[in-house]
Amino acid sequence: MLRFYVEVARSSFRRLLIYRWANLAGMAANVFFGIIFCYVYIALFRARPTAAGFDLRDTLRYVWLMQALTMVVLRFSWYDLMLTIRSGEVIADLAKPCDFTWYWFSREAGASVYYLLYRCVPTYLAGMLLFGIGLPGEWRVLPAFALSLVFGTGLGIAFRFLYNVIAFWLLEARAVGGMASVVALFFAGTYVPLPFLPGAMRTIALWSPFSGMLNVPTEIFMGKLSGADLLGALLLQAMWLVALTLLARALTAAAARRVVVQGG
Amino acid sequence: MLESARDDLRLYRHLVMQQVRAQAQYKANLATDILTYFCVTFLEFSAVLILFGPFPTLAGWSVGEVALLYGLTSICFGFAELFGAGIDLFSETIRRGEFDRVLLRPAGVLLQVATSDFKLRRLGRITEGIAIVLLALRLLPHGLHWTAAKVLLVGLGIGSGAVIFISILLLGATFCFWTVETTELTNILTYGGREMMSWPLHIYNAGLRAFFLFVVPLAFGTYLPACYLLDRPPPFGLPPWAGFAAPVTALLFGAGARAAWSFGVRHYQSTGN
Repeated sequence: MLRFYVEVARSSFRRLLIYRWANLAGMAANVFFGIIFCYVYIALFRARPTAAGFDLRDTLRYVWLMQALTMVVLRFSWYDLMLTIRSGEVIADLAKPCDFTWYWFSREAGASVYYLLYRCVPTYLAGMLLFGIGLPGEWRVLPAFALSLVFGTGLGIAFRFLYNVIAFWLLEARAVGGMASVVALFFAGTYVPLPFLPGAMRTIALWSPFSGMLNVPTEIFMGKLSGADLLGALLLQAMWLVALTLLARALTAAAARRVVVQGG
Repeated sequence: MLESARDDLRLYRHLVMQQVRAQAQYKANLATDILTYFCVTFLEFSAVLILFGPFPTLAGWSVGEVALLYGLTSICFGFAELFGAGIDLFSETIRRGEFDRVLLRPAGVLLQVATSDFKLRRLGRITEGIAIVLLALRLLPHGLHWTAAKVLLVGLGIGSGAVIFISILLLGATFCFWTVETTELTNILTYGGREMMSWPLHIYNAGLRAFFLFVVPLAFGTYLPACYLLDRPPPFGLPPWAGFAAPVTALLFGAGARAAWSFGVRHYQSTGN
């Protein structure tokens, strides 16, 4: 059965290979936003050399890691599952002799691997070329970063699955999805580095599942988290991952019991 | 000429009102939609307030000044989104072959495309922009002394900026006649342009500054008016009243986009299925 899920992931990886130009255009958008944020931080850091333990170079690395990793973890306006629910195609996927949740998780995992290779790496390289920020951290943090990115990607998939599966109950779930995406992106750190958030807001963000999606992998790669803090962050990620996945499975099971398909 | 312009305006109002009435049927739904949109855009803006926690100034501009610029840009972009969103969806229209049907109807092509996706919920962004401008005026340490010229310039700037944003959408739609993969590229200039214009232009390098003043003149929409309101010198030694040229730049850019669009319509070949 595992081979089946690997095959699902591989086919979604291969499907994305076709859309070379779309990926390039998307990368151009990531780079453009990266440039804007870099100039904003360069201007802000003229007033003081460090903030919340970040200097300018740290902040620019954070910005580029966010732009690089967003499409791996939190592909915004992802409504693929929602659209199958609305069109009724979902019934074919529910009837497949495999687990519905794992099916979508593998599909999305394959896409994430694609974006890691063809979006994340080139985007960060563009940041290195444009702003001379160098590699984000030392090689020895890579194993922890890799583990944290796997957790983060899982969190991103589970979260997107959740706001898509709402379509079983709401006809127009896109508005909910749009809002959920912005909230997630904000508290994952794409708008402002989470260490810059004021007191209570930062605490909420760091305990939320969103920090684990992008902020935790990024801070680990930059060497900002180590020792007990690092272990705690990984543990929190793992706990949120289990919780969101269980919730996703429970909602799917509840939906599958009441699903009625129109037409022939 | 005048006759047909009046007919077009009447038809535009008719097509838009038709969608407004449809959306007004579900009042609770519409209210939550507008409120949601307001909250989402306001969350985006909160990034500005948060950054001015640890940092006192942004290249010499205070939080009130940046917020004023941000709010004006939001209003400007909000109007562009309200009136131009149909153009943004054009790649779909082409791909489904629906454009053939548009061409067959005895009405202006652009008129039909522009009115195809009029959503009242986009009022949420304009409301957010107005709220931010009001907040900014309170954050400015000495307030703002309004004069007739300042009010006029803000109005001209927002209108011109919106026309330029819509022209960008139109250029993006024009590319759809030859390739369907352009929405992401247009997004760079629309959403990216909005983000870029939300921050003072003088933080960017000379190339970007020149591009958004003289190639895609979005900076005329909100940055130059903001400079005028705040008694800041415009970039490249432009005179302080340079912002009043906004309608001219918008007309030139819009005419260019319009010409490209007409060329595209004339050379349209259906997807043929």
